[in-house]
Amino acid sequence: MTDQPIQNCGKCGLCLSVCPVYQVLKQEQASPRARLQLIKAFEKKDLSASPLLKDLVSRCLMCGACKVACPSGINHYAKFMEMRRKMAKSQPDPPAIRSLVYLLAKEYRLRMGAGLARIGRRLTPGALEKKYKIGTIPVSRFPEMNRRSFRSTLPRVAFAKDSPGGHCRDNPRGRVVYFTGCATNFLFADTGQATVNILTRLGYEVVIPDGQTCCGIPMMFHGARDQAVENMAVNLTAIQEAMRENSGNTTENAKDAAAENCDAMDKACDEAAKHCDAVIVDCTTCGAALKDEYPALMNTLDPSRNKALAHQIALAQKTTPGMPDTIAAKTRDILSFLHDHMDDLAAAMKPTTPKHKVIYHAPCHSKNSFNSLAKVLDLLKALPCFDYIPVPDEAACCGGGGTFFYEYPDISRKMMAKKLISARAAGADFWLTDCPVCRINLHGSLSEKDNLTVVHPVTLISKGLGS
Amino acid sequence: MISPDLKKQFLSIVDPTRWLDQKEQLFCYAYDAFVEESMPDAVIFPETTDEVSQILALASAHKIPVTGRGAGTSVCGAPVPLHHGLVICFSQMDRIIEINTKDRYIIVEPGVVNADVQAALAPYGFFFPPDPGSMNSSTIGGNIAQNAGGPRCLKYGVTLDYILGLEVVLASGKVITFGSKNIKDVTGYKLAALFCGSEGTLGLVTKAILKVVPLPETVKTIMATFKDLDDTAKAVTDIIGSGILPAAMELMDRLTLNAIEDKAGLGLDREAAGTLLIEVDGVAEACDKQIKQITEKLHASHAVNIQEAGSAEDRERLWTARRSAYGVFAKLAPDIISEDVTVPVSRVPEMVRRIVQIADKYKLRVGVLAHAGDGNMHPMIPADKSNAQEWERVLAAFDEIFQAAADLDGTLSGEHGIGLAKSKYLPLVMNQDTIDFMKTIKQAVDPDGILNPGKFV
Repeated sequence: MTDQPIQNCGKCGLCLSVCPVYQVLKQEQASPRARLQLIKAFEKKDLSASPLLKDLVSRCLMCGACKVACPSGINHYAKFMEMRRKMAKSQPDPPAIRSLVYLLAKEYRLRMGAGLARIGRRLTPGALEKKYKIGTIPVSRFPEMNRRSFRSTLPRVAFAKDSPGGHCRDNPRGRVVYFTGCATNFLFADTGQATVNILTRLGYEVVIPDGQTCCGIPMMFHGARDQAVENMAVNLTAIQEAMRENSGNTTENAKDAAAENCDAMDKACDEAAKHCDAVIVDCTTCGAALKDEYPALMNTLDPSRNKALAHQIALAQKTTPGMPDTIAAKTRDILSFLHDHMDDLAAAMKPTTPKHKVIYHAPCHSKNSFNSLAKVLDLLKALPCFDYIPVPDEAACCGGGGTFFYEYPDISRKMMAKKLISARAAGADFWLTDCPVCRINLHGSLSEKDNLTVVHPVTLISKGLGS
Repeated sequence: MISPDLKKQFLSIVDPTRWLDQKEQLFCYAYDAFVEESMPDAVIFPETTDEVSQILALASAHKIPVTGRGAGTSVCGAPVPLHHGLVICFSQMDRIIEINTKDRYIIVEPGVVNADVQAALAPYGFFFPPDPGSMNSSTIGGNIAQNAGGPRCLKYGVTLDYILGLEVVLASGKVITFGSKNIKDVTGYKLAALFCGSEGTLGLVTKAILKVVPLPETVKTIMATFKDLDDTAKAVTDIIGSGILPAAMELMDRLTLNAIEDKAGLGLDREAAGTLLIEVDGVAEACDKQIKQITEKLHASHAVNIQEAGSAEDRERLWTARRSAYGVFAKLAPDIISEDVTVPVSRVPEMVRRIVQIADKYKLRVGVLAHAGDGNMHPMIPADKSNAQEWERVLAAFDEIFQAAADLDGTLSGEHGIGLAKSKYLPLVMNQDTIDFMKTIKQAVDPDGILNPGKFV
């Protein structure tokens, strides 16, 4: 369905029932409907940008639940993002958020930042770590940075291992491109190792794109669209090159072909796609960028109107036209992808595989962008490595929301409070979630006394398979 | 306007997080799901009856207009503060006080959401029948103020039929309680009938004792499609007229069905000129028998296709889709007017014909949707208010639709209420003495006219 203009919001109020922020605050101005009405008033110049307006529009996790529920076809998500961009100049974010956006904008800055963070962490006395909080989370409960960035520990191509279907290094089941995202690269190497192990054990050849960088969602959420465009251009190029790896059709060839005629470009695009079964993400927020935001962003770009961005747009457009859509169509979250291979996974696990008592937390983009909840629960029920315990609010928001837990700790804490009660009561050993921010937030909200380890589901699946 | 000094007094009743008076915030309380809007001067969020009482006493002393609000999902402008002043928003007064299924009641505060009442009762095997389309967001206080209905009210009755007792704060700040936990109670006037549907013009409900009923053992839903809208409406009259009483019986025309299908993608028949969604409930044998009787009637009325929803999930998907009808319609144009004229069920075919004729006459698109089994029509006209010429035609069409309903012994509203939307049509269905009688009551209860002023009394 195409996105409808704000005027078409019938103000029916259905979104109130799905908005995690409204559910906590129970005040209309914290609802998706109100944010739309405020944006409408801003566009009609009945309201001008102000700190309060910025606060009301930003008091949102960008979870997308309203967009999914909206009967009128309003893409709240896109409208909120656009409004954040419009207000970014006159109502800048606090310094901590701006620094984060600055850091994420360039891979080398991130690398350096991660290194400094490791040093800083080592130099910080333990007592201080416990005392100080970032948002809702004590510093001591933040994850350690990876010793080395995950991608630097792996070759560019991980070859298929011998697998049940008779697949092996020289006869892979297929090829997938793995977009690792920043969190796996710098914080959660365990997720990356597990993802690569499972995919290769299923007989896939895994290509990790060189030069990939932050997907850009954090910039988009904080109104820094220009930086997001830059990152998009870098990632589209990197993924495209990875898709064509070994296909005998290099990017240079494609560009030559592009210069000749459109048919050839389409062919080059198809060719690349043919050699890649999926673009895998382990983080559904990165996935939402590849699947939804890049094509949408490309549609809004016009080099003649966005002069300052002409260079980045040109870079993005140098990738074959249609590539953003091709990549979007191939983007799969790892758990849904594994759901397609559920029987093989189950068969590959020994009956003696230890069963882990697990509960699940569904991240917003998994639910709302990838609609993966039912599939994930299938996996948790079917695979012998899991003893899955359902908790009633497993699909309720944890209040992480990118930087939401930092910007609105009081609201975030209330969302988490209910989840903690049911999670603790379940008596599980692992709390599984497929979003790095949820992982930070869940772990950060538990205390040392809780015997509950928060990991990505792939970690246990990988263990069950053995390496 | 509320002076700084008066604000200070309000802030001695509630803490500052429960008081809003900035322009950006007030914008968010100027609307419900109706087209007209009007901003309040301030919004206050009480948490207890005592606070509501103090707020009203203070507002009364300063003659500040007071408009109650729940979730703001009304479709007639009832919670729109036409004379500005104070909006009392009950969304944070949302405790379920007692569930007693042995004595078949639940006691709730006004801010409890209808769906939360259902969720709280389900484990006991009970439910609260009123099921307005907005039930996932709308509050019990709002349901009571509007005497809300919904599809299954065909069999079960509307909100008023489920009120055992209320606690109400009057304009003066006095707190009255009436009714009891008893199903039978003829002690004095049936005051619930006065306040339920009064749209906040007589008092503000702060607590409700609601009757609850056991969930039916079996529920079955069938969907029938027709080549002709007239046949569809006749089938409704035939079924109800022959003494069969389904739990719900919804009629949708092609435009409505397609709008729903666009969103829900259930594989509904986009070609059908009319579709009936019929639900029966009760003991299994009775349901089977009813389905058989209904199917025979449907065939006799030339239904082309009759299908039963296979699973509980399928049923839920159908009803979720049906409940989204107002919202999916909204996407057809910047503005939408959805009315709910109601006629005796035998007049449904005639009313449907007239609605279509009137829309044709004014060259407007109309979606005909109806809780057809109880004659509760929902003609919905999508249009653009900023197109003055078109909007004039919309208003003229509704003038005729209301007149048509009156001609057919119908009434202005089955479940939405009067609000801002249709005060001017009251004389079509009420004589002046009756209107004056309502005014006499209003005058007696709220002599300064501070409660939701500018509405139908």
